[in-house]
Amino acid sequence: MGRRWVWFWTAGAIVVLAIAQAYAASTITLGVAGPLTGDQGAIGEQLKNGTIIAVEEWNAKSGVLGKRIEIVWGDDQHDPKQAVSVAHKFVNAGVAGVIGHFNSSCSIPASTIYHDGKIVQISPGSTNPQLTERGLWNVFRTIGRDDQQGTIAAEFIVKKLKKTRIAVLHDKTTYGQGLADETVKTLEKAKIKPVYYGGITQGEKDFRPVLTAVKQKNPEALFYGGIYPEAILLTKQMRELGMKAIFVSGDGVWQQEYIDIAGNAAEGSFVTFTPDQTKIKEAQGFIKKHRERFGSDVGAYTTYSYVAANILLEAIAATKSEDGPKIADHIRKAKWNTALGSIQFDKKGDVLVSPFVVWEVKGGKFVEVK
Amino acid sequence: MLLQQLVNGLTLGSVYALIALGYTMVYGIIELINFAHGEIYMLGAYMGIVTFGLLTALHLTSPSSGATLFLMIVLAMLFCGACGITIERLAYRPLRNAPRLSPLISALGVSIFLQNFVMLAQGPRDKGFPHLFVHGGIDFPGGRLSAIQIFIMATSVLMMVALQLLVHRTKIGKAMRAAAQDKQMASLVGIDVDRIISVTFMIGSALAGVAGVMVGMYYGLINFFIGYIAGIKAFTAAVLGGIGSIPGAMLGGLLLGLIEALGAGYISSEYKDVFAFAILVLVLIFRPSGLLGADVSKRV
Repeated sequence: MGRRWVWFWTAGAIVVLAIAQAYAASTITLGVAGPLTGDQGAIGEQLKNGTIIAVEEWNAKSGVLGKRIEIVWGDDQHDPKQAVSVAHKFVNAGVAGVIGHFNSSCSIPASTIYHDGKIVQISPGSTNPQLTERGLWNVFRTIGRDDQQGTIAAEFIVKKLKKTRIAVLHDKTTYGQGLADETVKTLEKAKIKPVYYGGITQGEKDFRPVLTAVKQKNPEALFYGGIYPEAILLTKQMRELGMKAIFVSGDGVWQQEYIDIAGNAAEGSFVTFTPDQTKIKEAQGFIKKHRERFGSDVGAYTTYSYVAANILLEAIAATKSEDGPKIADHIRKAKWNTALGSIQFDKKGDVLVSPFVVWEVKGGKFVEVK
Repeated sequence: MLLQQLVNGLTLGSVYALIALGYTMVYGIIELINFAHGEIYMLGAYMGIVTFGLLTALHLTSPSSGATLFLMIVLAMLFCGACGITIERLAYRPLRNAPRLSPLISALGVSIFLQNFVMLAQGPRDKGFPHLFVHGGIDFPGGRLSAIQIFIMATSVLMMVALQLLVHRTKIGKAMRAAAQDKQMASLVGIDVDRIISVTFMIGSALAGVAGVMVGMYYGLINFFIGYIAGIKAFTAAVLGGIGSIPGAMLGGLLLGLIEALGAGYISSEYKDVFAFAILVLVLIFRPSGLLGADVSKRV
């Protein structure tokens, strides 16, 4: 290559950089992180769809602060290690805020990185209390907490189902074990000690050995802290082993996949989750739009992601800045009218009111228990 | 409870054994640890679902008939066998005389490629396996032996017996044993070693394909990542039994399944992998060539 070519390439590179710079200045980026692929991909898709609709709506109104909004995707595959590298990627890309992650075991380690990078994080699905209990100014969530959820589940088992022999299993993750422990805490208040308490490994497929040991204790109900892929296998294998115990679990199992794949084995199971979103007046517009845009109904976390993205973007617009602390301050102070109804955050970043209710699997659907 | 755990363990173990056979046969003949083998098993499971979908969509067979199940297994075997040959041709044969590390890296590459290929082609979500075929079971005091467990164990035993007959009673089996002992001598007496290696890959992969379909039916849930854990477990089984030894792989698989089931049932489910790998470490300390493995230097 001759010497004049060096000039040519240098000039070319400068032009490209300048264009990229100008382009970057005219856009504002949001990070969206969660298990976008892998066995929890169904949840990742809900995070995706909710934020896509929110961003499209804002871009149709000429963006925020006069800039186009772009989403940077971060796939953590529900692996804490991946979550940390996604978080570093987001910080380096200079995102204005993060929607995610889903799993508490991902959200918690990532949140410290966002904290150091002065970036606001709103999780639409992480329910472990520790996410907001550590006093980080930048962390919020639009969903409730496991100490609320575990209490509801335990009280339901004891008072409504009137069962006293209860086995407890969890998936050894921050979320699963945390939820199981919160449930056990409430059970112990009612003077009930679980007849079996143990963990399983995420990604495993054969839970017959542990279920056989559980069966030995004759439980009337089995509470599982974890996400739906393992719940499907647990439910099916329980029934195959001839166990009659009632299966009870938390929000991680509130997925149509659970019923579709577990089939008949899932009938009569109970799952704690928030009240029916499709009955919320404010959510109707969004639900309709979702059906038109994606041809399917909203999932468990779609609306939560949509609301999280809207709160973040509105806060950016209201403060006229991309400065993390300013945005966080505004989110904490303001009252939000969202697709989930009116929302307010407390000092820690939790929503003030977040009821959990119990759902039953009936005729291949989740039905709210009255 | 003991009886039930034995049933659980033997079912799991016979699946491990089927996959382990592929590792051990390939290692026996070209001393390569074929890390893509777990992915072949995953392909088998997907091929089962695809065949099921095709057959029922075209109304060729009724969904719950034995013919559907038979075709699912046969097509998965054929498909996986063909994949095995292709992978050997493309990824290992060009590296036959390269340093030992190169084919190993090539194997990892194939594994990553196959995982991502299936993820893109079939989607990243879990797929439910049709649960139609084998119902019912036998109840015994303290437990239950389901029909599908019987089916898995019977099929595995059948496959292993067939493999033993093939290796010890047929001409091609003799050629395989000869090539495993000394490739150069084998080629001098007129054995087409390249062909024998292809056949070995085909048989090992076909067995993994059967395991894939059966496990899909057993758990009712598959995704593109199942090959990873199954591959590691089967590799452990092969090493436990003595890598390169066919009876060793069978024994190693059954033992690993039993250890996992009994460990999870009697001690703690959280530590079940710890028991499996602790036993592996102990065996390797006291018998470095595995339970039934021959010392490689003395094999001839």
